[in-house]
Amino acid sequence: MDHPQTPRILAPHLQSFQHKLIRMLGKVVQLRGETAVIDAGGNVDVILNRDCHLALNHAVEIIGKVDASLHVKVQAATDFGTNIDFSAANAVVEATHRHKEIFYD
Amino acid sequence: MPAEGGSQNSPSGGRRDYSQDSLRPVTIKQIRDAVSDSGDEFKIDGSKTSQITIVGQIRNIATQTTNITYKLDDGTGSIEVKQWNDADAMETSPLKARLIEGAYCRAWGKLKDLGNRRHVNAQIVRPVDDMNEVSYHMLEATAVHLYITRGPISGTGLGAGGAAVNGAGQQGAAGAYGATDLVGYSAVAKRVYNHLKEAPQTNEGLHQQEIAAKLGIDTAEVAKAGDALLEGGLIYTTVDDQTWAILEAD
Repeated sequence: MDHPQTPRILAPHLQSFQHKLIRMLGKVVQLRGETAVIDAGGNVDVILNRDCHLALNHAVEIIGKVDASLHVKVQAATDFGTNIDFSAANAVVEATHRHKEIFYD
Repeated sequence: MPAEGGSQNSPSGGRRDYSQDSLRPVTIKQIRDAVSDSGDEFKIDGSKTSQITIVGQIRNIATQTTNITYKLDDGTGSIEVKQWNDADAMETSPLKARLIEGAYCRAWGKLKDLGNRRHVNAQIVRPVDDMNEVSYHMLEATAVHLYITRGPISGTGLGAGGAAVNGAGQQGAAGAYGATDLVGYSAVAKRVYNHLKEAPQTNEGLHQQEIAAKLGIDTAEVAKAGDALLEGGLIYTTVDDQTWAILEAD
């Protein structure tokens, strides 16, 4: 059983990834119970599930589906701690789009 | 870089091909796309590859009597990574306890096709401590891919002879190509570079239109030359993408 590809994106790319499964690394800026806001090149509303435990100001990598209102419905979240170099992480997103041949179909 | 020279004459007298002994950082999609001619020979970007390193998230762990199989997912695809049990190892590594579902890890190993199932025979699988390693690995895999498909940074052109690059993270090529070695650049690129070097400017450098006007070259040509120089790391962008300054090597 293969896992589907999860393109790495940032807030500005949400529009082009509607209804798709994506991967996004951002910093948790607001926790509101069942939803949260993360900063991934812009604020993104994420809809949490029961299994994810986000920590304020921590980096978090989210795998989820972009819905019609450009919120991300989280399927899995991985804590990336407080020591993330976001310029490197954002460079990865750019590299994956620019040199798509080695990343995504 | 591939191993060169020395006295490595194999007993049979033939020249051994060391390119496949290089360790290459790759994405899982690259493993999936690797071309296999026969048995255990694989090519990625036309370059013979056997030893690889990947970074991914553990999706599944299957413990068998002879091996542990991890299913790794790096967002570009997924692949099984098998780590065979070492009968001589008396104690299990404490790191192993941290290899759990959902955790990121780095694996080093050899590509294998068994039947039509491709997998990695890993020598080492260890957890990722610093999550920046995930970004680092993706960027390194991109850098090596570009090196092999487009040649070394200073642009000696296409086809580096399929030379495999050392995947251990060194900037291998940098030393060999002097900072101002413009071999392989177009005439326009050389003029743009020299103008940037000579013309009086602030530390913000010069705008491409300014350069185009001064040199009497079409802006599009200058932009193209700038892209080549940017890609070669000879210049860098300052206040915006169209304003460049010389990247001083020292």
